[in-house]
Amino acid sequence: MSGEPAHGYALGDRVRIVDLGKPGHVRTPLYVRDKVGVIDHCCGSFENPENRAYGRVGRERIPLYRVRLKQRELWPDYEGAEDDSLVLEIYHHWLRPA
Amino acid sequence: MAERLITDVGGLPADEVPRQEVPQLFWEKHMIAMFNVLWSKGVFNLDEFRRAVEQMTPKEYKESSFYGRRLDGMTNLLVEKGLVDRDELAARTEQIVREGTRDHVR
Amino acid sequence: MDHSDHEHDHDHGHHHDHGHDHAHAPHPTREDDDVALSHGEAKFLALKGLLIEKGILTADDIRRRLEINDRGTPHQGARMVARAWLDPAFKARMLTNAKTAARELSIEVTEAELMAIENTPDCHNLIVCTLCSCYPRSLLGEPPAWYVSKAYRSRAVREPRKVLREFGLSFPDSVEVRVHDSNADLRYIVLPMRPAGTDGLSEADLAALVSRDCLVGAALPGRSAT
Repeated sequence: MSGEPAHGYALGDRVRIVDLGKPGHVRTPLYVRDKVGVIDHCCGSFENPENRAYGRVGRERIPLYRVRLKQRELWPDYEGAEDDSLVLEIYHHWLRPA
Repeated sequence: MAERLITDVGGLPADEVPRQEVPQLFWEKHMIAMFNVLWSKGVFNLDEFRRAVEQMTPKEYKESSFYGRRLDGMTNLLVEKGLVDRDELAARTEQIVREGTRDHVR
Repeated sequence: MDHSDHEHDHDHGHHHDHGHDHAHAPHPTREDDDVALSHGEAKFLALKGLLIEKGILTADDIRRRLEINDRGTPHQGARMVARAWLDPAFKARMLTNAKTAARELSIEVTEAELMAIENTPDCHNLIVCTLCSCYPRSLLGEPPAWYVSKAYRSRAVREPRKVLREFGLSFPDSVEVRVHDSNADLRYIVLPMRPAGTDGLSEADLAALVSRDCLVGAALPGRSAT
């Protein structure tokens, strides 16, 4: 969408959203930590909010991905359909190949 | 596992979604505009604002309203940046409450 | 420097009594003469006064921004949907880059990125921001109270079908419910499916079927404007 080529991950890659155990401002919610999903979209690169939140602006841009996960794998008691999914945006450094 | 930010509520138990329409008050609309002006001018950025809200106490956050969070988060950030003095703000606020007037600029 | 600039708050906005979702009403606002000065408002006025006195901003800055903010209404989103329903090429452009597609309709989206997500017979989409209240405000205006509520933010990701039932929507298991947590830099609108029985309707009539809640996936477009 921003016209930048993807770095590192491609559409359909399986990825794990790791728990970096990082204190302070992060945009990776707890409910997806240590969960596995697939790359749904390569969003391009953005400044890291973990820097910006502390006034460190104008730093390097890092790739952002939309990651799609199965709801049944996110919630042990999920009551919806088998195929129900959740998609959210995760920065490159929170991902590892799965 | 890392500590949960107070804003990180995804998946937590909660009641029915409150459906009634809540009209935006006139001052709230102005407050949002002021908030927008401040980040447009680079006084702070949105990530700093979110971080400021995350730094509220759990009790403050739990009891906060949406517009209350905007105002308090913005205030805390401006105080942090040394642009506003908290005591001066409190005194000015009390003065306005006492006077009961919206004619505020001195 | 003269700081005796008094704001004249004679801006009479729309006043809506409706409890239900009105397709194109601007977000209700009213002159607060009849509303007692709350502590929140007093704090805001105090802060504003201090910031103006310190030269950090002016009352004009705020007024100008108010005008910009007022451009955001659900109707802008509805117009994009109606155009997409009528023009497949526009729809394709909207799904590729909703921000640039909006510009074709003279709608200026100022968020970094806007992505349109299409509902299909196989997939219904629902938008939430669990961490705060991210919403495409420059397009749609302020989000409804329910969208920013802690209940919605907590439950939409975990039990979306139950939340949708509270909104009067239910889908068979053969339809995937896909939730989008707007947790970083993208903002989203849902492109609902065009309802059956709307052939021959004008673009304006089609837009009238698309309410604010349709654009986040919490409602489906109506069949007639009445």
